[in-house]
Amino acid sequence: MRKGFEKQLEELNVSLIQMGALCEEHIAKTTEALFAGDENFVEASHVMEETIDKCERDIENICMGIFLKQQPVASDLRQVSAALRMISDMERIGDQCADISDMIRYTSSHNMREYESLKAMSENSKEMVNNAVESYVRRDIKLAGKVMSQDDVVDRLFDDIKRKLIGYIADDPNQGEFWIDVIMIAKYFERIADHATNIAEWVEYSIIGERK
Amino acid sequence: MTKRIFKNTILIIFAVIVLCGVFIIGVLYKYFNKELMDEMHQEIRFIAKGVELQGMDYLEAFDGMDTRITWVASDGEVVYDNQVDITTMDNHSDRKEIKDALISSSGKSTRYSSTLSEKRVYQAQRLSDGSVIRISYVQKTIFMLIFGMIQPILILIILALGLAGFLAYRLSKQIIEPLEQIDLDNPDESVVYEEMAPFVRKIINQNSQIAQTMDILKAQQDEFKLITENMQEGFIVVDRDSKILSHNTSALRIFNAEQNVENKKVLMINRTHEFQEMVNQALSGVHIERIIPIGERIYNIYINPVFADSGENKSVAGAVIIATDVTEREQREELRREFSANVSHELKTPLTSISGIAEIIKSGIVEAKDVPEFAEKIYDEAKRLITLVEDIIKLSQLDESGLNMAKEDVNLYGLCGEVVKQLTPVAELNNVSIELEGSTAFIYGVKPVIREMIFNLCDNGIKYNKDGGSVLVSVEDTAEETLLSVKDTGIGIPIDQQDRIFERFYRVDKSHSKEIGGTGLGLSIVKHGALIHGARIKVESVPNQGTSVTIAFKN
Repeated sequence: MRKGFEKQLEELNVSLIQMGALCEEHIAKTTEALFAGDENFVEASHVMEETIDKCERDIENICMGIFLKQQPVASDLRQVSAALRMISDMERIGDQCADISDMIRYTSSHNMREYESLKAMSENSKEMVNNAVESYVRRDIKLAGKVMSQDDVVDRLFDDIKRKLIGYIADDPNQGEFWIDVIMIAKYFERIADHATNIAEWVEYSIIGERK
Repeated sequence: MTKRIFKNTILIIFAVIVLCGVFIIGVLYKYFNKELMDEMHQEIRFIAKGVELQGMDYLEAFDGMDTRITWVASDGEVVYDNQVDITTMDNHSDRKEIKDALISSSGKSTRYSSTLSEKRVYQAQRLSDGSVIRISYVQKTIFMLIFGMIQPILILIILALGLAGFLAYRLSKQIIEPLEQIDLDNPDESVVYEEMAPFVRKIINQNSQIAQTMDILKAQQDEFKLITENMQEGFIVVDRDSKILSHNTSALRIFNAEQNVENKKVLMINRTHEFQEMVNQALSGVHIERIIPIGERIYNIYINPVFADSGENKSVAGAVIIATDVTEREQREELRREFSANVSHELKTPLTSISGIAEIIKSGIVEAKDVPEFAEKIYDEAKRLITLVEDIIKLSQLDESGLNMAKEDVNLYGLCGEVVKQLTPVAELNNVSIELEGSTAFIYGVKPVIREMIFNLCDNGIKYNKDGGSVLVSVEDTAEETLLSVKDTGIGIPIDQQDRIFERFYRVDKSHSKEIGGTGLGLSIVKHGALIHGARIKVESVPNQGTSVTIAFKN
């Protein structure tokens, strides 16, 4: 019985890391396609999003199985319940990446490389997702803490972009629609950073058993 | 052990008690029985004599005595009994001892009571008048005898238990103590009793064998570890569940993993989909090799499955992962590809012009007066081709034998003066002024190469300048370095392209390269020249304001 439990926990761990890796890949490829204006990626992005959704359902099933059959307690319970919360954040990251990919259609005619702040935002959110997953893999509370503090950087960058865009639209109202697309993309990255922060918080919770 | 010895001892003691008891009781019982019979026989003869002489009077003296005496008439009627009232007694003619006595003058019999608790022994004697006198004794049966002995037997059993316990304890202690004293790692034959000696000897032999084998294994393992540890390549062995069995330090460095990854899934060190797929494929029995980037660098990853059994039913027992750093190789390969593509392109362009013009002349559509113009074009292109080939030769010379060229003391300032003088007409043609400042400074180097470097830098300064711009060449001798700098007021180089200008055939402004001329190899030659002199190159440039290239030769 206990051996079966260990095996289920291991399976949960492995699936969670795999799902995290998928999210990392998705955001990396999305950023790349966004700045290269690669419209072909849109379709691939939706396939990846579906894969991530499927991962979420699979992991949910594993968690439910553990709850029903093993009635975990203490740190095991924390691990399983944290996993349940983490996957919904990961799933949202997948959705947001797909949303960003959808915007490529409208932005590919512009040279996205020019917008340094947006680039910085995307790099920061990508790094946060990487570090959040890494902190789970390594059970590294320090790294999780780093992710949480990095969220402020992304928030600041978002405010920065918002302020600048008001000026851009005023200067050239004909480009207004494009700038609104840019602000939406920025918002998606900001949300991705928030989800990465949530994941980091759940990692911390599953290790020390406290939520700040 | 103590328990078993105790059980056996108890069993033996009981067996001895029971057997002895049965034997002794059996023998004694028989003996006493015979004694009793003989005694009774004597007694009945005395009584018979008495009765014959004195009749009833004689018998009356026995009233109430322990021995029961009965006088039975010849018809079986009881005439006298000293213990029981004769009126209650029935005819005795059918009793066995009486019957026997009536027939053969004496008879005996034994009868058990209904409870078997006692037995009566009878002896009868016929008198001369035909009547029969009988005596009887009550004797305890053998069962009662044993029953009566229960108490001593119980005491005996308790004693036996105690004795057995004590014996068992002592015996087992004697057997076991030496065994316990054996130090299994360093057994000593002398500690134990004789019978154990062969075992101990065997243990000693096996211990030394095991120690030897372990030493060999450890040496092999150390050797293996030493080899894998010093490998540049990352080396990981995983089992069939993709758990890490063994790895070297390089692997941890390559995969940027923490310590203690042993026994963890390989997923923990690299979770990318691509890598996982490779591991899974290898674990399904397929050799796989792929180039994947990890972080900043590029690695060639080989994963080889390891099979458990050879032959028919082979199954994958695990896999060996080897990661080789191929970053340099890939970069070189990329450069080489770019270079050959560029060389072919650069060589082809003038040749196409020459061939095109020649074709027009050949077809005869060119008028005689226009031929010199076309000839000049052919001449220009051919010259360009020659310059290009010369540059390529210079570069390959620097590549091949740069470090072996003869070095001498070179007057850098003087050399700069020569170059400036040589280029002044070109500068004037482009409406650019060129000046030299500084003082005499000597460096140790290869003169033609340094001259070529100065020439290329100045030439660039003039070519990529604006109308009315200037080029300033300066030589400065500081304590540690001799600095040669060429500063222009030209078009400048964008920041993101400043790293690339030293690449072969790289042009910042590709669209105007033909008008300006040049081969795209000038700065490459400068870079190689600096390399063989161990000099540092610094580029400072602001687009539309100018560029300053400084070469610092170590003193």
